[in-house]
Amino acid sequence: MEAVYAQYAWLVPLFPLIAFLVLLAIGRTANRSGPVIGVIATLASFVMALLVLFEQTAEGGMAYVWNDLEWIRAGDFVLAMGYEVNPLNALMLVIVTFVSLLVNLYSMGYMKDDPRITVFFSYVALFTFSMLALVISENIVQLYIFWELVGVCSFLLIGFWYTKPEAKAAAKKAFIVTRIGDVGLFIGILLLVWNMPGHAIDFTNIGNAFASGDISGGLATLIAILIFIGAVGKSGQFPLHTWLPDAMEGPTPISALIHAATMVAAGVYLVARTYPVFEASESAMQVVAIVGAFTAIFAALIALTQTDIKRVLAYSTVSQLGYMMLALGIGAYAAGIFHLFTHAFFKALLFLAAGSVIHVLHEQNIFKMGGLMGKMRITGWTFVIGALALAGIFPFAGFWSKDAILAEAYASHPVLFWVALITAFLTAFYMARLFFLVFTGQSRAESSEAGHAHESPLVMTLPMILLAIFSIGAGFFNIPGSDRLAAWLTREAPEHHASVLVMVLSNVFALAGILLGWLMYGKRTIPQDWLSARATWLYRLSYRKFYIDEIYDYVIVRPLRVFGYFLHLFDEFIVDGIVRLTANITLAIGRAGTRLQNGQLQTYGLVSMLGLVILAVAFVGWRFVINAG
Amino acid sequence: MERLQSSDLIYLAPELTLVISAIVISVLDLFLPKRVNRDLIGWLSLLGIIVSAGWVAMYSIPLINGDGAQLVSLLGGSYRIDNFANVLKLIMLGGAALIIFMSIGTVKEREIPHRGEFYYLLLPALLGAMIMASSTEMITLYVGLELLSITTYILVAIRKSQAESSEGAFKYLVTGSIASAFILYGMSFLYGMTGTTQLGAIRQLLNDPQFYPLIYVSYILMIAGFAFKVAAAPFHTWAPDVYQGAATPVTAFLATISKAAGFAILFRVVYNAFYGLGTQTIHKDFFFILMLLAAIAMILGNFMALKEKNVKRLMAYSGVANAGYLLVPIMNDPYFAESSMHYSMFSEFVYYLIAYVLMNIGMFAAILIVTGETRSEEMSAFAGLYYRAPGRAIAIILIVLSLAGIPVTGGFFGKFYILFGTVQSQMYWLAAVMIITSVVSYYYYFSIIRQMFMRSSFQASELAKGIPLSAVLWICAILGVVIGIVPQWIIGYIDSIFQYGFDLFG
Repeated sequence: MEAVYAQYAWLVPLFPLIAFLVLLAIGRTANRSGPVIGVIATLASFVMALLVLFEQTAEGGMAYVWNDLEWIRAGDFVLAMGYEVNPLNALMLVIVTFVSLLVNLYSMGYMKDDPRITVFFSYVALFTFSMLALVISENIVQLYIFWELVGVCSFLLIGFWYTKPEAKAAAKKAFIVTRIGDVGLFIGILLLVWNMPGHAIDFTNIGNAFASGDISGGLATLIAILIFIGAVGKSGQFPLHTWLPDAMEGPTPISALIHAATMVAAGVYLVARTYPVFEASESAMQVVAIVGAFTAIFAALIALTQTDIKRVLAYSTVSQLGYMMLALGIGAYAAGIFHLFTHAFFKALLFLAAGSVIHVLHEQNIFKMGGLMGKMRITGWTFVIGALALAGIFPFAGFWSKDAILAEAYASHPVLFWVALITAFLTAFYMARLFFLVFTGQSRAESSEAGHAHESPLVMTLPMILLAIFSIGAGFFNIPGSDRLAAWLTREAPEHHASVLVMVLSNVFALAGILLGWLMYGKRTIPQDWLSARATWLYRLSYRKFYIDEIYDYVIVRPLRVFGYFLHLFDEFIVDGIVRLTANITLAIGRAGTRLQNGQLQTYGLVSMLGLVILAVAFVGWRFVINAG
Repeated sequence: MERLQSSDLIYLAPELTLVISAIVISVLDLFLPKRVNRDLIGWLSLLGIIVSAGWVAMYSIPLINGDGAQLVSLLGGSYRIDNFANVLKLIMLGGAALIIFMSIGTVKEREIPHRGEFYYLLLPALLGAMIMASSTEMITLYVGLELLSITTYILVAIRKSQAESSEGAFKYLVTGSIASAFILYGMSFLYGMTGTTQLGAIRQLLNDPQFYPLIYVSYILMIAGFAFKVAAAPFHTWAPDVYQGAATPVTAFLATISKAAGFAILFRVVYNAFYGLGTQTIHKDFFFILMLLAAIAMILGNFMALKEKNVKRLMAYSGVANAGYLLVPIMNDPYFAESSMHYSMFSEFVYYLIAYVLMNIGMFAAILIVTGETRSEEMSAFAGLYYRAPGRAIAIILIVLSLAGIPVTGGFFGKFYILFGTVQSQMYWLAAVMIITSVVSYYYYFSIIRQMFMRSSFQASELAKGIPLSAVLWICAILGVVIGIVPQWIIGYIDSIFQYGFDLFG
């Protein structure tokens, strides 16, 4: 079958770009029409992405590559620009456009009273554009350009309320921490360009070179690890996860967008896209798996004690991304992508629901909420669905994708399997804690607003309902025994690791977590401070996020400051001295030259004659040197 | 030698169009009553240029398709219409069109008292430049050169009520004559040795060891003469005074078209008459002299600009430096470095020339805008421009960034390609000079931007108005960025149509 829509896949990122430009041009004068433009553009992108996806799923849907736009040719190195459509990025296109569309829609309500709403929508459009362009990039340099653009957009959006000092700090932190990862990726790309046969940097050739063993051994490991460092930064993996929870300072729809579809998914996508590189190196795969597993349980532990509704969700994202990395690391490629796919729905849903609560209460501390179920039925029920999906309860979407990962882990890495299983328990527990504290019991709000809490408007609840449907149903694309998604993604029949034991175990652990959560925060038969009172240090360790920020502050930031102070002195006296000297010499040469330019025609003639003589003398001298040498 | 047949005239259509336009316009100017706006003359000259460009484009098509039979060589190989000439002519015509366009409605009576003359002197000057691009014979070449020179002497002097203008014109005339003398002297040696004025024939006849010492004499003399024309240091001394004295559109013409024409003959003469003579030593010697010239131009031009406060003088120094950059690709040549395979020197040259012409015309349009009514050409004329006219300020910033060579502008990729070629040709010290002087140039380019943002504009004059002027500014700014976004289109295109043997050697 001839690829038709794939040829027009470039339209998908184009619509948001146009929206961005239009919004930029019309500016703040169009606070009413601005959001509509954003929604329409993403809707167009979504429809186009769906067409591309359907074409890919159809029998014989082939990958489509277009890279005729030669951008730079330098010697035998050619940097072409283009795009590629394959199952992986067709799926990503749909995820990104779908979540972005719903976030746009939701923001129409959430940001309604913000005076800079048009600016907000223009940033969101640019963000969506960058992510989509990243996804269909045909070579790794092009990907890197949009990778950075995604970083810039997240900076702009996290710091959207730039009058808040926390928002400013969070934006800066997000930018700097992810930059650290980007440096790794950048070096990895340089190594690739250097070592690839023919300096080909498009993904097809990279895949072939690594699969055929042209690049292998230590070099392959090094490149894989460097690329992974980039992914660690963007996807908030340990130890570069600290920016992600702080990024909660941005508007809540942005948190949904960042956590579900754009920013953090980019890291997982990068690993998936360059998967042959990782497959070429056993040790790189292990690094990915271990970092992933560690991040999963580590972030889940932190999430247990957080009191800010969005921060709990943020750490759960970090934890779930760890799951995906774990999957990729143990070779469960399809399972990892599947989890990315289902996670996008329920995480976006949870954030939007949390946003809905915040929108009504103007409060983010879960201990100051409570009893909202009666007042916000849609928000409450969709939140329940999202939480159950995240906890991995049968038959919600999260169950199927998590089970796919667990089954693979059970078959190959027993230790990692147990880590993942415990994480599943913790996940269920903190989600239960969140739900029971926020939606059940008595209202503990200090302000009077909670008294007349009400459901959010339709533009906000509709996206939540849609996401809830997918949070229930998205799992059925890939149930064991009928692994359509996996078969399509890898284009080969998947191995079956499905095991009833794993399914039962994961459900038992998750249900146990929920039960414990209910007992502590719902029914309150177990006092809430049961553990924290007995093991205060443990509680504090979790509450203070294992002191990672503090450790960074003491180990990296402060020594750097002291070092920086010395450097500053060095800079001021020695470097600046040299700079001043250079500047003075430069200016002196300039002055000497200007002196020749004295306006006297005789001087000009003289200079010209002298120039001729200089040329002749220099040339004779050069001949002399050449002959002598 | 063949005679020019009347049937050959059709191939001279681009040149003849300009001649006819110039004559018609001058007669028209005589008979039009005083009250008729001279902008009409401007539009007519613009029309003439566009028609001429159309002819050039038409004759380019068979050549682009690689149809060698279509290569026209008139007067026994004295005048060639090849890809080399056509590409350069199109650049010159495009540049001239922009200059005339920006002059329409902007150049006031006070600026240039005889506006009609301004337009119909510009056309013969352009004609001279085009003849230079096409000629492969010394006398034809010299005629083109003098046609360009003499008309530009007059153009510089056209503001005759102003002392500066007369002074500049006088200096230009004297130094220009010195340059002509150098060139003629050099040519006479060549003729003395070979007995012919055809460049191609000269190269074959010079391959005789008995001539070697004299070849050097003629080479150095001719290069020095051409260096005057392109204002490469140390033969640049006329440029600042003349640029300052001339009316701004005339300065723009000198900085772009006149310089491009100088490079056209430099390219032709170096490759047609002196390329690959005898042993490689001679070849290396010749290129060494050019390298030296380029290095001196880059260093002196950029360093002297640092302290300059007058914008037009600043542009003169910037032009000197750019002449240095434009000289470099001429030497990025496979013959010079034994090991490398570098064949794209002409496309590098053309790309940077296009970027250079756009940046300069844009910058002179900017100068016309800011000098406005008071005609203060100091740097401070730019003060606070961002707050007075943000739109135009942004366009000027784009142009300045391109001049400084910041990615992703045309100026950046121009320098990048030239630098890349230099490294491939293993001329590392020249590459180092290029990089260092480019960094130095940031200082004075960014001082323009600094003026626009960080200086208050309390004594600033009114900005010049006029849609053509703003249009030219924006065209140059946007094209400058666009060619930076798709550099490979131009480079690849020129590479694909240009062949050494076919297009340079007669």
